[in-house]
Amino acid sequence: MSSITIGRKKSRAGSNLWRHIFAWVLIAFSIFPIVVVVSSSLSKSGDLATGSLWPSKVSFANYALLFSSKSIPFPLWVMNTIILASANAVISVLIGIFAAFAFSRLRYRGRKQSLQALFLIQVFPSFLALAAIYVIFERLGVLYPLIGLGNLGGLLLAYLGGSMGGSAWLLKGFLDTIPIELDEAAKIDGASPSQIFWQIFLPLTSPILVVTTLLSFIGTFNEYILASLFLQDIPRRTVAVGLQAFVGGTFGANWGPFTAGSVLAAIPLVALFLSLQKYIVNGVTAGSVKG
Amino acid sequence: MNMIKPSTLAMIAKLFVMAIVDSLLVWMIYVALLGSDFLVGGVLVAILIAANWVYFSKRTVAAKFLFPGTVLLVILVVVPIIYTAWMSTFNYKTGNQVSKDAAVAQLKLVGLVPDASGATFDLKAGSSGSGHALLLTDQATHEVFLGTSAGLKPLAAGTYKLNSLNVAVSADGFTPLKGKDLVTATEWISSFEVPSTNGRYVLAQGLDIAALMHEKFVFSKDLLTLKDTLSGVTYKDNGNGNYVDVSNKDNILFPGWQSFNPAQNYVGLITNPKLSGPFFRVFVWTIAFAFITVAMMWALGFVLALAMDKKIRLRGFYRAVLILPYAMPSFMSILIWAGIFNQNTGALNNLLGGAHIGWLTDPWLARGAILLVNLWLGFPYFYLISTGALQALPSDIEEAAEIDGATGSQIFWQIKLPLVFQILSPLLISSVAFNFNNFNLIYLLTHGGPTDVLNGETAGATDLLITYAYKTAFGSNEQNLGLACSISVLMFVIVGALSMWSLRRSKVLEEM
Repeated sequence: MSSITIGRKKSRAGSNLWRHIFAWVLIAFSIFPIVVVVSSSLSKSGDLATGSLWPSKVSFANYALLFSSKSIPFPLWVMNTIILASANAVISVLIGIFAAFAFSRLRYRGRKQSLQALFLIQVFPSFLALAAIYVIFERLGVLYPLIGLGNLGGLLLAYLGGSMGGSAWLLKGFLDTIPIELDEAAKIDGASPSQIFWQIFLPLTSPILVVTTLLSFIGTFNEYILASLFLQDIPRRTVAVGLQAFVGGTFGANWGPFTAGSVLAAIPLVALFLSLQKYIVNGVTAGSVKG
Repeated sequence: MNMIKPSTLAMIAKLFVMAIVDSLLVWMIYVALLGSDFLVGGVLVAILIAANWVYFSKRTVAAKFLFPGTVLLVILVVVPIIYTAWMSTFNYKTGNQVSKDAAVAQLKLVGLVPDASGATFDLKAGSSGSGHALLLTDQATHEVFLGTSAGLKPLAAGTYKLNSLNVAVSADGFTPLKGKDLVTATEWISSFEVPSTNGRYVLAQGLDIAALMHEKFVFSKDLLTLKDTLSGVTYKDNGNGNYVDVSNKDNILFPGWQSFNPAQNYVGLITNPKLSGPFFRVFVWTIAFAFITVAMMWALGFVLALAMDKKIRLRGFYRAVLILPYAMPSFMSILIWAGIFNQNTGALNNLLGGAHIGWLTDPWLARGAILLVNLWLGFPYFYLISTGALQALPSDIEEAAEIDGATGSQIFWQIKLPLVFQILSPLLISSVAFNFNNFNLIYLLTHGGPTDVLNGETAGATDLLITYAYKTAFGSNEQNLGLACSISVLMFVIVGALSMWSLRRSKVLEEM
């Protein structure tokens, strides 16, 4: 593609030098906080302010604390987060792909209007709806404690409310790129819309579904406003809510457990992200390239 | 359309799923009715009927795919939005949170003052018939009364027994409380009112003393005015949830009530200097922040994309390291940056040789810090999408321009940049809309601060509309849900208009 350079062979090394310098400057910027968090997690004092960037004495005390302290049930938080984020990712992507299929392939009355309405609903600053969400789930919790305030089930349900707006648009963009001839041929063979969906579209979309699921998983992992509203009990918290409590308070911060927990939580996420890098890049650039 | 029958297996699977959903819904309806919550029950019945119609009718093809998402969306997103819009039309804030009836009842209680007669009673708590009752002995006249919620009944001599202190301790038809019953009774005793004549009450002033009280506030029948009989001041319902002194409008009675006043919150945001000052400052910063931060992230991402748009050595490595900020869980990164910027213990001041710079406590430095952190968080995304856009450029454009004698910088400024900008503009606009509401960044990094609380500021230097609204609604000082809701409706209008405009412009809807 554009790697074919034409008629400009002069000073190759020179013309590439700025690229390397630029990259290294940005790398320093990128990894600075990462170095800080790793070094702080390994320092015994648990400060973010070690004299040098690297602790003189490496200690794993902060990590040990996460697995031994009764008041910091870190493994439970991880479990809660994995259950919540996976359930939300799978269900919401399923709901999203259902809706995207209808938006992309089925023709029905009010389709354009419903798409516009969905688009608008999505941009509503939903934090303010917190008050209403609180009222709704307080009421539900009286009848069904499992999906009320204070329970992962309730939080999951609250997240699922946004699943249609969240992934449906992205998935619709992808479905639009699948040639229409494919389903027309299937239709001629007598396949019903549900057969077309389950037997043709679902297998074809599996790569983008993986990406959407991962992005949704990360999104849930990062969410803490709604989670902190729902999950007051310490053992029921998610990683985000649990760790935030160490440093978000007004009176000083306890960086040791926070940074150690962050490193442990970030490693699998970053590994997953980097290993699926190609798909993710395709996913996020799909919108731009389509133009 | 259905030329062949759906396979039996699919049919069985569908029946199986629907059986589970139906039985779950029926159980939930049962529980709701058992708890006599008819709103929840009714909604669930509607869902049950709709679900079965959608999935067993042949005419509802699209609805089969849209149903689950739509139900969740309507209940958990649309209803809260409507609720927010509805609340924005109320004067609903600290001091005005209850209904008018409840406010009137509370005012009556507040307005109870000892009666001019100064009558006090010795008190024995107990029950009479089926209700609570107080056996009362007037301390001055030694008359004895039985007080129930129906009224004060004088007892004839001989129907009660006095103790050595001339206090009645038992009476016919009255069962006194004993021992541990007395402990649990304190709650009702303290709020038990025995009506007397002329709007007066006998109220317990502890567990063994009661006093004759009268209401100093006299309400008009329609509850539009009330008179303080002690001071002679008349208060009028100001139509905005409070009784206000007719001769001095700063003399307001609390508690007030939530009153319906559709335009008040919106007009107040523009005309009340106490609200409009912070609102406009926050508004300007929100717009500036959203555009500046996207411009910065895109500029850096685009230049990086240009730098990497050539197969140089280590490109794969650069790429993997440079998207790390995008791969890290953002809530952690933001909190870590907050720690790095900390004035006393932060790594940045430490790195600068123990400097003592208040990165997050100086308004302009804090704004800069916000932009820097968001740049860190966002440039990899813009690098990725810029790379995609560069690769989508037709490669012959560059060749054609070179043949026409264009220089390298001309090709860049007049061809590549405009084209990439055009391709990316929908994503740039949605980024602006996203950052307009970037709650996490502000809340976790600066909490909207620094805020000059001493000078009565309610909005911080880095507050966006969304964090300002959040603080207004749920803040630690005065909470004003009505005002916060009206701010979020305004934000919705702004961001919605911006998004609709970009949607139209990108012609996404036309090609559907």
